[in-house]
Amino acid sequence: MNLYQPHLVRIEEMIDETSDTRTLRLAFENPEIAQKFDFKAGQFGEYSVFGAGECTFCIASSPTRKGYIEASFKVVGKVTRAMRRLNVGDTMGFRGPYGNHFPLEEMKGKNIVFIAGGIGLAPVRCVIWNTLDLRDQFKDVTIIYGARSVADLVYKRELEEWAERSDVRLHSCVDPGGETPDWKGEVCFVPMLVEKVVPAPQDAFAVVCGPPIVIMLTLPLLEKMGFAPERIYTTLENRMKCGLGKCGRCNIGSVYVCKDGPVFTSAQLKMLPPEY
Amino acid sequence: MNKRRMLNEKNLDAFVQDLINAGTRVISPIRRKEQGRETATYAAVQNPEEILLAGPQPALPLKDVVFPPTETLFNWKQVKSSIRIKENPEGFKKTVVIGARPCDAAAMEIVDRVMGWDYRDELWFGRRQATTVLAVACSQCDDACFCTAVGLSPTNARGADCFLTPGEGGFEVETLTSKGEELLESHHGRFTQAKDPAKTQPAELENKVRANLSLQPEKIQQWLERHFDDPLWKQLALRCHGCGACAFICPTCHCFDIVDEPEGIDCGRRRRNWDACQPALFTMHGSGHNPRKDQTARFRQRIMHKFNIYPARFGEILCTGCGRCVRVCAAGMDLVSILGEISYMAEEAGSTS
Amino acid sequence: MQELRDLAKKLFQEKRVDAILGYEIDRRGGVRPAFATQIEDCDRLVFDHRCVHNLASYVSPRRTHVADLGRLGIVVKACDARAIAGLIRENQIKREDIVLIGMRCGGVVRDPAISEPLDPANVAQRCIGCEQREPTLYDHLVGAPKPAPAGERRRNARLSEIESMSPEERLALWKELLGRCTRCHACRQVCPMCFCERCVADKTRPAWIETSPHMRGNFAWHLTRALHLAGRCVDCGECERACPAQIPLGLLNRKAANIVAARYGYTVTDDPAKPAPIGAYRLDDEQEFIA
Repeated sequence: MNLYQPHLVRIEEMIDETSDTRTLRLAFENPEIAQKFDFKAGQFGEYSVFGAGECTFCIASSPTRKGYIEASFKVVGKVTRAMRRLNVGDTMGFRGPYGNHFPLEEMKGKNIVFIAGGIGLAPVRCVIWNTLDLRDQFKDVTIIYGARSVADLVYKRELEEWAERSDVRLHSCVDPGGETPDWKGEVCFVPMLVEKVVPAPQDAFAVVCGPPIVIMLTLPLLEKMGFAPERIYTTLENRMKCGLGKCGRCNIGSVYVCKDGPVFTSAQLKMLPPEY
Repeated sequence: MNKRRMLNEKNLDAFVQDLINAGTRVISPIRRKEQGRETATYAAVQNPEEILLAGPQPALPLKDVVFPPTETLFNWKQVKSSIRIKENPEGFKKTVVIGARPCDAAAMEIVDRVMGWDYRDELWFGRRQATTVLAVACSQCDDACFCTAVGLSPTNARGADCFLTPGEGGFEVETLTSKGEELLESHHGRFTQAKDPAKTQPAELENKVRANLSLQPEKIQQWLERHFDDPLWKQLALRCHGCGACAFICPTCHCFDIVDEPEGIDCGRRRRNWDACQPALFTMHGSGHNPRKDQTARFRQRIMHKFNIYPARFGEILCTGCGRCVRVCAAGMDLVSILGEISYMAEEAGSTS
Repeated sequence: MQELRDLAKKLFQEKRVDAILGYEIDRRGGVRPAFATQIEDCDRLVFDHRCVHNLASYVSPRRTHVADLGRLGIVVKACDARAIAGLIRENQIKREDIVLIGMRCGGVVRDPAISEPLDPANVAQRCIGCEQREPTLYDHLVGAPKPAPAGERRRNARLSEIESMSPEERLALWKELLGRCTRCHACRQVCPMCFCERCVADKTRPAWIETSPHMRGNFAWHLTRALHLAGRCVDCGECERACPAQIPLGLLNRKAANIVAARYGYTVTDDPAKPAPIGAYRLDDEQEFIA
């Protein structure tokens, strides 16, 4: 066994979130690994399609839910295209968990604001469920999420679940032109929704993820509204191969996304050179 | 430790023959004629007479002894509805390197740091463990060498299990590790006791190398950390083709790619291949976005990795001053003059702050 | 030399260029490419038998960091001008966007670090038998006339030698030579005619050419590259010079060039108006391999 050999995982379930985004639920084939496997919210893995290669995704399910891991993906290149062709029952590979994680311990007893755009909800969703599964250890939970259109919203069933819960405040939006006649949420861009509904920054952490434009606008906005840069968290991605700090590919200046990240604070991002 | 023995030329040949007979792979510099010029290259030796211990630096480093240009990470095969993964049965061949240059011996130890960083790369260390390195002091240098500028020298024994210093009729052999001692003990008939005190090597060669470049690595590191956006990068990178020959020929460059290679409808292998930060594809996202979108950014990354990022992380410069990048570069980039320029700018920056 | 420097300064003064690409002496006493971005830099420019590099490699638009400099003036020998002509012919650059400083040339050494005078032992193989002492594609022509270089056509002899080998011997030879390749792709990066934004070897869907440096991948890469350069390679020798494993790649390209010459009567020229086999056809082209 060497450290580049993946565990085998079987596709248990497949959910098409949107026309181009799919979630796979994967179970470890080896019962010992299935039992022992653990990770922290924010960590990622290298998912293999044997014959096509590996690609990097955060683990989209919560560590509080044992027995499986999930990944949500869009077809972007060779491996994701091969992943799309797989069926329930097919075997993939998984190496991980790698990277750092969200500081759940620090966030306990505080208010959490989750902000995401589009498929960016995937890494955030992991932390959302981690938080909700331990609901009494956190104070107020706010989720602000938007996508280009109603069809582009991911984790639709879970959005409904969160909307129904009295211990979660969910605000959703779609871009102007993306609404349907029965859309009950807002019609605006995510940063605008943030400005409108974000709770007070006192005692609060923010977890933000989405396309670059959402991050670029939301982070400074949160700081303007009083959130401490050390308490605004996001995840970065970069082209990766080994995922464990040896292949020399994913660094941004002196920082390795696979080792020092993928979770970074807004304060840390400001120190990074413009290389991502 | 640090036992000293003598090895005369005849016994050196016999020692090598013993190893070959025992099925050990012996790697040494051998003579090679390339386009009418005499060069040397590290190669598996079939005959002790091929070995060239004094002579030009081998054109390619020892890197591929512990880190092959391509290696199989594992094989896979579709078995019913699942996959079976099989470790590559190749294993790690017992190898003795005789005649490693100090710059090549030290390089392997420097790369150990990243290969052992939190996760232990069993392939790298498996080969490292199976390899015993007998380094030899340099007898030649040229205007591309700069090992002294990065903390090494023509007689530095870093990374060696044993160190050979030329003497009368043969070599003085100093043992530095228990692995080295074990090897020499098991062939003790070929070695004799060293009687005279250790000879100090003439400083002439070292002085020649020092004259090429002198550096204060901490100042370089500081300047690099603070000058990501300096216009110097664009100026330096103009003539760079981004060909990566410098990285492939470098004893400390270790960046790699991982690819899947199907070998049939239902089987194949995953490989690790040498790669370099110089071509555009290295950091290209699937979406087409490239954080390092031109040669200026990519060239800067090379210097940063070697003289800032690796030292900051592991306390080691990712360079042994072997000079191969200087010699091979088709565009005359010349790392020696680049480091000289950065050194000058670091001095300037230091004196004004 | 002074003639070249004066011309370079004049081009700056008359604002006909934003930068000049030529040669300069390097730290080791050899020659390397030089970028003059202001008039003072022109005094560094040199031209002599050590000016081996084909500066046309820097001109392709994929080199955004060079293209950013603006309008280029470039020092070219006849062989380099053939590459410029190729780039014009293949619509990579426009003739009016570049200023060509043609140099009269008596041959170059095979390694720009060689400081001895040019002689039959150190002359670059491609210079032997070269009939062009100066380019026909230029805006300015500089330098005193020089005689053709003397030397032995060792490479042609080597090519004939290989052609007379049996297939088994040839395979063994190429296995040894291409077995050294570590797939650094330096040969591609330095080649003026390898300007594709996305090289065939970098494509993944499907992976036409395996990127691993094993025998199969290496053969696929080098033979494909030789094929893609057939009729386009200007024999500047940069690929051989750049190769860290010192593989005589030029042999493959020369073989392909000889085939193109025999079948289509075409050899690379620095006349961009002359159509090349890639991108043109004649009704009487031989095509027995189809029928």
